[in-house]
Amino acid sequence: MSENLKYVGNPNSKAADGIEKILGKAKYVGDMTLPGMLYAKLLTSPVPHAKIVELDVKPALAVEGVVAAITSDDFVDHGFFGWPVKDMYVLAYQKVRYVGDPIAVVAAESEAAAAAGVAAIKLKLEELPVVSDMHKALDPDAALVPLEPQIGDGNLLVTHLVRNGDPDPILAECDIVVDESYNFQPQEHGYIETEGVFAIPEPGGTVVVFANDQSPHINRDNAAGMLGLTGEAVRVIQPPVGGSFGGKDDHVYQFTGQAAKLALITGRPVRLVLTREESLATSYKRAAAYAHLKIGMSKDGVIRAAKTEYLADSGAYASQTPLSSWRASMHLAGAYRYEAATVDTKAVYTNNGYAGAFRGFGNTQAAAASEVAVDELAAKIGMDPIAFRLKNCLRTGDKAFTGNVIQHEAGLAQCLEWVRDQSGWADKRKSLGFKANDEVLKGIGVACYFHGSGLGGEGIDYARITLTVERDHSVTLQSGLTDYGQGSRTVFTLIAAETLGVTPERIVMLRPDTDTAPETGPTVASRASIVGGNATKVTAGKLIQKLNMAAADLLGCPLEQITRHGEDFIGPNEEPVAIEEVIDHAFEMGLQMSSQGYWQIPVIHWDFEKGTGTPYYTYSFGAQVAQVEVTKATGKIQVTGVWASHDGGKIIFPKGARGQLMGGITQGLGYALTEGFTYKDGYPQKKNLKEYHLPTSLDVPEMETHFVETNLAEGPFGAKNLAEPVMIAIAPAIANAVFHATNVRCRDFPISADWLKGKLG
Amino acid sequence: MEVTFKLNGETVTCPVTTKSTLLRLLRDELKMTGTKNGCEHGDCGACSVIVDGVLEKSCIFPARNLDGKEVLTIEGVSNADGTPSDLQQAFLDAGATQCGYCTPGMIMAGEALLLMNNNPTRQDIREAISENLCRCTGYQQIVDAIQATAKSRLNGGAK
Repeated sequence: MSENLKYVGNPNSKAADGIEKILGKAKYVGDMTLPGMLYAKLLTSPVPHAKIVELDVKPALAVEGVVAAITSDDFVDHGFFGWPVKDMYVLAYQKVRYVGDPIAVVAAESEAAAAAGVAAIKLKLEELPVVSDMHKALDPDAALVPLEPQIGDGNLLVTHLVRNGDPDPILAECDIVVDESYNFQPQEHGYIETEGVFAIPEPGGTVVVFANDQSPHINRDNAAGMLGLTGEAVRVIQPPVGGSFGGKDDHVYQFTGQAAKLALITGRPVRLVLTREESLATSYKRAAAYAHLKIGMSKDGVIRAAKTEYLADSGAYASQTPLSSWRASMHLAGAYRYEAATVDTKAVYTNNGYAGAFRGFGNTQAAAASEVAVDELAAKIGMDPIAFRLKNCLRTGDKAFTGNVIQHEAGLAQCLEWVRDQSGWADKRKSLGFKANDEVLKGIGVACYFHGSGLGGEGIDYARITLTVERDHSVTLQSGLTDYGQGSRTVFTLIAAETLGVTPERIVMLRPDTDTAPETGPTVASRASIVGGNATKVTAGKLIQKLNMAAADLLGCPLEQITRHGEDFIGPNEEPVAIEEVIDHAFEMGLQMSSQGYWQIPVIHWDFEKGTGTPYYTYSFGAQVAQVEVTKATGKIQVTGVWASHDGGKIIFPKGARGQLMGGITQGLGYALTEGFTYKDGYPQKKNLKEYHLPTSLDVPEMETHFVETNLAEGPFGAKNLAEPVMIAIAPAIANAVFHATNVRCRDFPISADWLKGKLG
Repeated sequence: MEVTFKLNGETVTCPVTTKSTLLRLLRDELKMTGTKNGCEHGDCGACSVIVDGVLEKSCIFPARNLDGKEVLTIEGVSNADGTPSDLQQAFLDAGATQCGYCTPGMIMAGEALLLMNNNPTRQDIREAISENLCRCTGYQQIVDAIQATAKSRLNGGAK
């Protein structure tokens, strides 16, 4: 970029909302109290699949301290909601479909009274046959999980296609073909703050809800619908959110409806915060998945064709699986050139806990499958895995396997070269590697990725931002795009400061609030920086015109003679005027000192019926190398080194970007090694954080990170997406490093130490 | 029963039950919500505080054992004028806080380490925070923050 940037990309920029967090002053939902508040507690399903024969909350009302109790009968249309597929209820209706499915809620004077109320509810369930194996969900004799078939065929939720030529004849003539299956267990988001909502009734029958959701406007619309209110009657405000990673939408929408209803019934504030056990059982997960990849190449190592299949377990409800399985489909053959490729994807309902959005959104599974498969191809001809990737990987102007051209500058090769050079790859590929007599086996492996930016074919990708100059000379920034730890508050603040020519300290980003912030669509798909950043830039550009107008009037000169020096405005006589004076003058002039801007990613088209088109406007890229040690006696894998390079375009908030990269790697490391949220006959096998092991500081090595700053002209200052893709390469990189160390190919994630021990024994 | 203990330097006396924990006492009774509740089973460390110089998970620390003890929480770490302590500032400078939910517990874990070891290695720091889960950062910037504080204190920087 030729622009001389002061705040954007400045390595010293700090988190805009960090100060209250380090002081312990940030107020999360669970930190909020009001006099007279009630505590809400859920009754959830103890079984995976059952008909609700009797549900009577009256006995709960007889318990001392219980003030109200509700079921789906208390909502309009039983609180039916969901997007893109409407198949959920605010509380279970007619059936329970997974262990943890919310059935009723009690509000009481104390947590203990609420728990006693829940225990008193009369619930009679008639158990139904359980569908727990996604591979059997479409069997003719499988029990039907939803109340009605979704697309006319039992438990089938959705299908997706990619049709780019005919791979069969090419595969038939390929010298080398890898034909393997890869399996993925569900993953828990593991945000350290559990889900919570705090609903406060207002005079006149309206309600204010503080909810730790990702998308307050969608939450408001759902709640208003369930409650039979207009959108304006429900105000959703997002307090600081203690982590989300895609994981605080659908069920938080349920809790919002429930708490709002209880607040309206009782006329008292109601707080519902989940215990860790409730959170683990009730919340949605990353989908369990099965991928079958058949990839062929010539004997000199040129990848030619792929024929692939993907099956996702959506569990009890659709949530975002229709879209995440689409994203998986759009990435399943990996970031390589192909002559022809097809994908056939299905997502099915089961009685396992349901699957929804989670960082990576389908590409986590897709990239892991294709990157192990590609490693297998390289191994078959004894070619260096990085050299093999460099030979086949997507570069600017190439066609992705989906048939569309990579239009913008692609930094994938540069990412691969950086991790190769920085990790000491060439030496370690020789010095490490399987040695039969060693007790600790050492290896190094690589994986890379591409990741479509924004929503792509999933929906219109836009954002609105409002900037307002206040009388105290601050500038408030409002957006429905939210910050749940990924740093978008800081990104927007830095972009606004840069464009307005003011210090970041002058910008105050208000909490997302549906009453005041413009509707902006969901905060998902790592899209906030691109669309929100651009909308911020557009808005700031409009606002600066108003400030210039005031300055010109104050200085008695034409608009075009106004120049800037820092925050000062300078007219023809070269005397600087402080911004405070210009703002005061703008108010004296009666100027309307607020601007709203809109920005939308250029529209692309994917034909869902034919499986052809352009799935994403642009892509980000990256590569990661992992070094591992495997203890032969136990099968335990310790990751001892990570090198990661990401092409996210221009980096706006470097400290935050690096944190995103390392945090994503850590989440992916858990996905590779310990984080399997398994079900047995529909029953979750992990109940708490003792049993479900998130990576600790001792499980994660020191990481070296790097950004390849390619330029996306349409991105704000050249930025692309970041938060999601950075997690997806590490799991296959670890699996490939384990192969280097042990000669054992890992195709099932997480990689079980017991399984590996057996292979090494 | 009642317990009398020092909380961030001030003597407090509170009624407690046999079941109540230090976490509940802080959050529910004393309305000090800087100490976070992440799991209430001692698995995540979000509720970490320092009791008599030692890092403790307040969610499994019985309130009845507090008599005569000295408790330090995130609210007591900041400077008297409310500005961040050196370690708190280092968390901000190093990018060690994202969602912020583990941050108070992490800062207490760092402070507890530095009370006992004024020159820790990165491995020492990793061990000291190993029972504090962070899902956002990948820990490295947290290690950076604690290490930078240790170095600055060794060089005579204000605590």
